[in-house]
Amino acid sequence: MKTDQLISPSKDKEGHPISRDLRTGVYVCHCGKNIGGTIRCEEVAEWARSLPGVILAKDSMYMCSEPGQEQIKADIQEHNLTRVVVASCSPRLHEPTFRAACESAGLNPYLLEMANIREHCSWVHLHDKDAATEKAKDLVGMAVHRAALLEPQHELTVPVIRKAMVIGGGVAGIQAALDLADAGYKVYLVEKTGSIGGRMAQLDKTFPTMDCSICILAPKMSEAGRHPNIELLTLSEVKEVHGHIGNFKVKVLKKARYVTKECSACGDCIQACPQLVPDEFNEGLSFRHAIYIPFAQAVPSTFLVDMNLCLNNQGIVACDRCFQACSHRCIDFSEKDQVLEVDVGTIVVATGVDVYDPTALTELGYGRFPNVITTLEFERLINAGGPSAGELIRPSDRQRPRKVAFIQCIGSRSKRSNPYCSNVCCMNTIKDSLLIKEHWPDTEIYVFYLDIRAFGKGFEDLFQRARREGVTFIRGIPGEIIEDINTGDLTLLGENTLLGTRYRYTMDAVILSVGIMQRKDSGLLQRLLNLSADTDGFYMEAHPKLKPVDTTTGGVFLAGAAEGPKDIKDSVTQASAAASRANILMSKGEVKVPAITARIDPDKCTACGMCARVCPYHAIEGNKDQGYYRVIEAACQGCGACVPECNFGAVDQTHFTDEQIVSQIDSLLAHDPHRKILAFACNWCSYAGADFAGVSRIQYPPNVRIIRTMCSARVSHHWLERALMLGVGGVLVSGCHPGDCHYNNANKHTERRAEKFWKRMEKVGINENRLRLAWVSAAEGSRFARVVEEMEKGLRKLTAKQIRDEAEKLKQYLSRKGDTA
Amino acid sequence: MIGMKLWQHFSREALYECYQCARCTGSCPAMEVSPAIGPRETILKCLNHDHEDVVKDERLWLCCTCHVCEDRCPQKIPISELLVALRNHAVRRGNVPDRLIMAIELLAKTGRSMIVHQLDDMRAYHGLGPLPPVPVDEVRDILKATGLDEVVEF
Repeated sequence: MKTDQLISPSKDKEGHPISRDLRTGVYVCHCGKNIGGTIRCEEVAEWARSLPGVILAKDSMYMCSEPGQEQIKADIQEHNLTRVVVASCSPRLHEPTFRAACESAGLNPYLLEMANIREHCSWVHLHDKDAATEKAKDLVGMAVHRAALLEPQHELTVPVIRKAMVIGGGVAGIQAALDLADAGYKVYLVEKTGSIGGRMAQLDKTFPTMDCSICILAPKMSEAGRHPNIELLTLSEVKEVHGHIGNFKVKVLKKARYVTKECSACGDCIQACPQLVPDEFNEGLSFRHAIYIPFAQAVPSTFLVDMNLCLNNQGIVACDRCFQACSHRCIDFSEKDQVLEVDVGTIVVATGVDVYDPTALTELGYGRFPNVITTLEFERLINAGGPSAGELIRPSDRQRPRKVAFIQCIGSRSKRSNPYCSNVCCMNTIKDSLLIKEHWPDTEIYVFYLDIRAFGKGFEDLFQRARREGVTFIRGIPGEIIEDINTGDLTLLGENTLLGTRYRYTMDAVILSVGIMQRKDSGLLQRLLNLSADTDGFYMEAHPKLKPVDTTTGGVFLAGAAEGPKDIKDSVTQASAAASRANILMSKGEVKVPAITARIDPDKCTACGMCARVCPYHAIEGNKDQGYYRVIEAACQGCGACVPECNFGAVDQTHFTDEQIVSQIDSLLAHDPHRKILAFACNWCSYAGADFAGVSRIQYPPNVRIIRTMCSARVSHHWLERALMLGVGGVLVSGCHPGDCHYNNANKHTERRAEKFWKRMEKVGINENRLRLAWVSAAEGSRFARVVEEMEKGLRKLTAKQIRDEAEKLKQYLSRKGDTA
Repeated sequence: MIGMKLWQHFSREALYECYQCARCTGSCPAMEVSPAIGPRETILKCLNHDHEDVVKDERLWLCCTCHVCEDRCPQKIPISELLVALRNHAVRRGNVPDRLIMAIELLAKTGRSMIVHQLDDMRAYHGLGPLPPVPVDEVRDILKATGLDEVVEF
């Protein structure tokens, strides 16, 4: 490694004098072979020395290591560096590391700039070393030019409200609420149904210890119910969320229960009620009345009226039988839904999962053959509190089945349903088979499986135990189930793949081991909280390894199966982790907000108010009389949507100034512009998506260069014009999918502006395909790669002359427009 | 390489998704009544072993291309397409059942794949006129256009 340095010339290539206080240090990281295996880092560092303002450039094996950071600190002090450029991995990973290093050496952390030559370069162009090295030089050049224009910033601190909200009252939600409440914070526990308890309350036993599920859950439920710091909001749904980390304003719709707290759950009202409907808690295997309690151990232990079913649902009292039957007089039909507004500092999302409905797999006959049931239905059947009082019966004739089959992977690991492994079904089936063996040892049990995944603590033991107890495991999923219409018996056709022979088993009952999936209505909360979802539909964590309970929205954490399929133990573990993460924020009591807010120059402002109209946070105030508008810094989230809206150049965004971005564009397009694709990617979705393409090593054409903005709505038409005039091959503007925008749908302005720009391109005579708008989420690395590939294909059809001509046309058009203006 | 040719007609990529669940075997009506090679075994042999085993095996022709396996395949593997590719390959390697060759010869000679005795009498009984003559030359041209004459003499 070379550490020699070059003192910069006093003038740049165009002969402009370089300000004397610009002393940039460039560090090119090899990242072991991750970068160094593809990019010639020494060559990049050598080249960087020729850039204006660069007084030293070094390459190093691991910049993020202690010696790497020490190097930066020592150089800042020894060489009086005023800017630091680190070319390494994604700033989403190590920007905080290098910022801290700069700060500890006395350099303002905002004077650091990173060039992403790993995720966006070496990992995605593994087989083209020359192109990757050229691209790395471009990225470093862009970073150096932007760095020169960076300004020191000071971050604002905002107070964190010391109250939390937990959404979802399953075992994960209960655990998170209890942890936070025990730590001394006020907690609002929001549950959609009439009782907390969730999926765990429906289960009979838990694996691998065979504990009684409700016996270990009920004490936690009642603890949550009576905890002085927990306010239980059942029959409640989150309707609106405003604000940001530390200061959320949440509107909760609390539906009327029609039964007051004085209810002693005596149950006199039930018999009086004439209305019946299948019971959701028992998976439709029994009936409940319109007035009911979800289950015996429900918390709160209060009845409720299902107003959709009640005869009084038209707003008039047509039936008062329950009211007459209630000796405590605690039924109140005049109760109304309420909207509560609560302020909280942190939110834990623990909304849980739905169970896969196997009706669509017609060959299995679920829904047509009464003796084909799901594992959740089985849990209710074998539970002492269930519809058959714990007797295992088959639905067709209510007789005890002597031969029972379990079929695995129903609704999991399939392109026809959910592509992922549901994580809990193998062990659940093993547990269920042991439960049957425990009560009725003479039952023959067959488990038809594909792979048995017994990976957790104590799981393999349980699997072995099931085999010893005589459960037969057969590898090969039945292709078809045939019902004998006279007896209700079921014949399974399939192949034992280990023997290579076909089988035909006749069973008394078949239990489908169904998978779990994201809640059907998960999209609603996703939009309210600006969460991302992975390709399987589950809420996405901020980092799969190192921030597994954080979300990309500050102050919002994930617990339980809403983040991905998991069993009770993992849900509880994650819930405590989420509570702990929320606790850190609240016990600190304040949080720093990045200095990336918008700012308005009052001298240039004409008080037209256009910026205030597009602000998603109402963070710009002012009026004509005042003569100018101003940004409320604490409310501004730093999307930058307001900047391109200003026709007078009065608005700019701190740390993402027009000047800084333009310097990146100019640097990038200094050589061979017609061969390059300029991509603007928003920090939250598309930049992360491009990072994900890198992590997944998805290869795409090397001529794309990415510039990061916080939101795609920051992209200004001035930038597009500038890039086209400089003869760029193509421009990509990419952001979050509509509805997923991290700035309250600010990206609708991106779309509007792109459409306007396409019209202008058409008018001027520029090939409209050269500007592309694409929505790429943080999970869609392959989509990002595909978009780039398609653009590259389109670009190959254009000649350098065509691009030059179109640039000329735009120049003339703009100068004409400038004359008339 | 013969192996290379097969993968030109069928993308091997699709087979990697097979995890041998054998739902296809349980769905196969041909296996119910004959010693046909099951779809699962066919895929496994083509993917991890020598697919020549399958190409040489006369049982390849027992599949009735009913598409049920494909319909129920959780990984949406185009099994019928694989079968067609394998059969095309088998024909070129000389693995064609005699009965099939007879049918092809008949088709080329008469324009019909099957001779039904007293067909016209039966049609007359049901009030139908005799079948129109088949443009045999046209049928032969079509057969040639598909390249069938390269593998079966007619």
